[in-house]
Amino acid sequence: MLSYDTPNFRHDDGQKKEVPPPWRMALTVSEGPKDVKMEIATSPAPRPDSPTIGAGTVEISTQDLDRHIEKLMRCELISEQEVKTLCAKAREILVEEGNVQVIDSPVTICGDIHGQFYDLMELFKVGGAVPNTNYLFLGDFVDRGFYSVETFLLLLALKARYPDRMMLIRGNHESRQITQVYGFYDECLRKYGSASVWRNCTEVFDYLALAAVIDGKVFCVHGGLSPSITTLDQIRVIDRKQEVPHDGPMCDLLWSDPEENSSGWGLSPRGAGYLFGAEAAKSFCETNGVDLICRAHQLVMEGYKWHFNETVLTVWSAPNYCYRCGNVAAILELDEQLNKEFTIFEAAPQENRGAPAKKPHADYFL
Amino acid sequence: MAGEESGDDSLYPIAVLIDELRNEDVTHRLNSIRKLSTIALALGVERTRNELVQFLTDTIYDEDEVLLVLAEQLGNFTPLVGGPDYVHCLLPPLENLATVEETVVRDKAVESLRKIADKHSTAALEEYFVPMLKRLGNGDWFTSRTSACGLFSVAYPRVSPALKAELKTLFRTLCRDDTPMVRRAAASKLGEFAKVYDKDALVDDLHGSFLDLSVDEQDSVRLLTVEAAIAFASLLNSEDRTKLVKPILLSLFDDKSWRVRYMVAEKLIDIQNAVGEDMTAQDLVVAYTSLLKDPEGEVRCAATQRLQDFCGNLKKDSRQELILNPILLYVKELVSDPNQHVKTELAGVIMGLAPLIGKDHTINELLPIYMQLLKDNTPEVRLNIISSLDRVNDVIGSSQLSTSLLPAIVDLAEDGKWRVRLAIVQFMPLLAAQLGQEFFDEKLLPLCLNWLVDHVYSIREASTLIMKELTQKFGGAWASANLVPKVQKLAKDSNYLHRMTCLFCLNTLSEALSPEQVLKEIIPIVKELSEDNVPNVRFNAAKSLKRIGKTVSPAVLQSDVKPMLQKLCNDADFDVRFFAEESKNALGV
Repeated sequence: MLSYDTPNFRHDDGQKKEVPPPWRMALTVSEGPKDVKMEIATSPAPRPDSPTIGAGTVEISTQDLDRHIEKLMRCELISEQEVKTLCAKAREILVEEGNVQVIDSPVTICGDIHGQFYDLMELFKVGGAVPNTNYLFLGDFVDRGFYSVETFLLLLALKARYPDRMMLIRGNHESRQITQVYGFYDECLRKYGSASVWRNCTEVFDYLALAAVIDGKVFCVHGGLSPSITTLDQIRVIDRKQEVPHDGPMCDLLWSDPEENSSGWGLSPRGAGYLFGAEAAKSFCETNGVDLICRAHQLVMEGYKWHFNETVLTVWSAPNYCYRCGNVAAILELDEQLNKEFTIFEAAPQENRGAPAKKPHADYFL
Repeated sequence: MAGEESGDDSLYPIAVLIDELRNEDVTHRLNSIRKLSTIALALGVERTRNELVQFLTDTIYDEDEVLLVLAEQLGNFTPLVGGPDYVHCLLPPLENLATVEETVVRDKAVESLRKIADKHSTAALEEYFVPMLKRLGNGDWFTSRTSACGLFSVAYPRVSPALKAELKTLFRTLCRDDTPMVRRAAASKLGEFAKVYDKDALVDDLHGSFLDLSVDEQDSVRLLTVEAAIAFASLLNSEDRTKLVKPILLSLFDDKSWRVRYMVAEKLIDIQNAVGEDMTAQDLVVAYTSLLKDPEGEVRCAATQRLQDFCGNLKKDSRQELILNPILLYVKELVSDPNQHVKTELAGVIMGLAPLIGKDHTINELLPIYMQLLKDNTPEVRLNIISSLDRVNDVIGSSQLSTSLLPAIVDLAEDGKWRVRLAIVQFMPLLAAQLGQEFFDEKLLPLCLNWLVDHVYSIREASTLIMKELTQKFGGAWASANLVPKVQKLAKDSNYLHRMTCLFCLNTLSEALSPEQVLKEIIPIVKELSEDNVPNVRFNAAKSLKRIGKTVSPAVLQSDVKPMLQKLCNDADFDVRFFAEESKNALGV
């Protein structure tokens, strides 16, 4: 079985990788000729007749976004310049959202994806295409799988194109430090030849909401509860635009797990966040008037799992996690009356998976 | 190197490229080597020959990645060194590349050598190419001898008898080489060499090597002689074929290694075509049945896959007889094969035999097999069987089948795997055509209507798509009576996903119904859904109007469709406004 992810800043489990601190990273990767040539890449100017999304300052037309989406749906990359614009647009949209994003039903809730692009395609086949179906993704879009870049950019492009239909909140893997250890950073470097796409994406991470509430009744978060949070308002006042801290309420929301055999709070074996028990969940629900806490963060073999007399629910959406766990995945469909229907799905069949994308040969020198 | 002494600025980029060829960073060298033709063009033919090719010959020790590109580039270099008269100067670097350890580099070098062999004049071929071939063939290390095997067929036809004799001897030596790698290369090139060989000498010279390789101790060598057997069989006359090729071929069918037998099964149709109808009837049929009862599942699978083609190729006058006995005797065993892939293959091809053996035999012999596979535990087997329904119907008609088919269809319609359900959904229009309206209404229609509320989106979507075909088949009145009521009910469903399914139904139905029906039955539902509480339903109503609007009269477009779209264009939701605007523009209202 796979071990838990651990934040490498706290735990030394013997397989810790040498990772330079982020500021060093930024320095080393911006050296050399690679960054210089990338800036030359251009994208066609937005056509004047095509409507632009929102009232912000970043200009990107719906046609451009549709083009990006179409390309990313084929698991093909968009250019570095296009990523830059897309990320700027996404930040502009996300900054308007609260720490606790208010969402109306109906919506389909999805758990971890972890760069398993073809399984995300399977998810859309089972749950419905965007924008027809409304989605809320509970974070952990990247790391572990082979296609973190395509997966995150696709979700981001869908968010930019259909801001009201597509909701994304932050998972513990949407972090600079974690992505340097678990694959997203290396993948960006391999696929784009420089770290600037990674930098753009991690800046977007800082703007993602920390939680969501559906119709005031369903509280959604990536990890779980925090001993320093009793009310939703305490989440609303967090300054979220930062790297995930090593401890404190923001860290706990993204790292905590439910623990069946305790009632209050316990130390987490992950080295970040806490274990919360039935009592903690119950009092949070009562204080805030919610019926259900919906979260992801932990692999469950059956795709979803109830805890604490159906007050807490884990949803997991990465089938055959890491291409070897043999688990099924689930999504939770909430209709207008908040009726719940779980849809289970398996990993995409082999013939639907493209060959791993070849690295486009970089034409740096002439 | 060159370029530096030239004061000409235009050569500067070339000088950079040449410097890059010696750069420490492999990506720089790789980039430069890809631009090799540019360098050569700038240097001119003479300096390319004397300096560049020389330089490349000397600096052959590089990363395999660089060598691979180099090997490929040199194959296209003939014009850059001055045409056919000078092409032999490319041999030294390619000869070096043909001896390196990395297989892909060697193979690429051989490919390029074959390419430039044609460019040589006969004299140059004898003077430069053949000596190089001999050096490779007598090399100390197996890599060069392996490469040599691939060059005989391009050199042999054009050289003098004396040299031919030498090459013959050399090839025979390579066929008996100590290392299996070389023997493998020889075995895989044996067929193409045979094709350019002198017809009369083929039996005397090459046949011995063929025989040796076909009983080689390594199965990886033996399996490569299957191709050679096909080449020999098609080159020899029928007497020699029977005497010389047949025993070898039959021994390959019977080989102790399953990989060899698998290769034989894979190439079965090529073998059949090469040996001709008579030998097929006399010997190949029996050999084929031995593959059908092979102990290895993979071999049975490959053999079963070719059942229909193999039988179709049999000689007409004895075909029916041979299929009934012995082939079908063995096929019947496969119905209960422990390997599900074998059964899946069989289910896909079995009904292909029906036209070959006629109606009576189909009913007596094939139908029992068909029925048994229809009850198989593996969904893919049943699916393949149902997919070949049309071919069965052509022979025996549907009435006898429908009662047996139904349980299998119902089972698949509710299979836990949604892709199995999807296949059966997509198969419905064909079933409807084959089984007739009465049966369809009674037994299959309920399934179709159930799929509309399947919990998998793709199933719901697919089931809306078949509405159009069904309506075209059974008529608008049928759709009004059987489909529209269900669709109306969907419009009132409490789940927005199902209300959207309703709109998808309307999209496809509107294209099969008359404009009057669209006005009377479809438009009211769209109107209702265009005022839905959920924006997703409203913008799908807007999208639907784009399709439905194209099926109604201009008057209805103005009186009914336009007001709806106008209202949606002022919706509070961005996406609703966007799709309403898009539909409005598309319809020009």
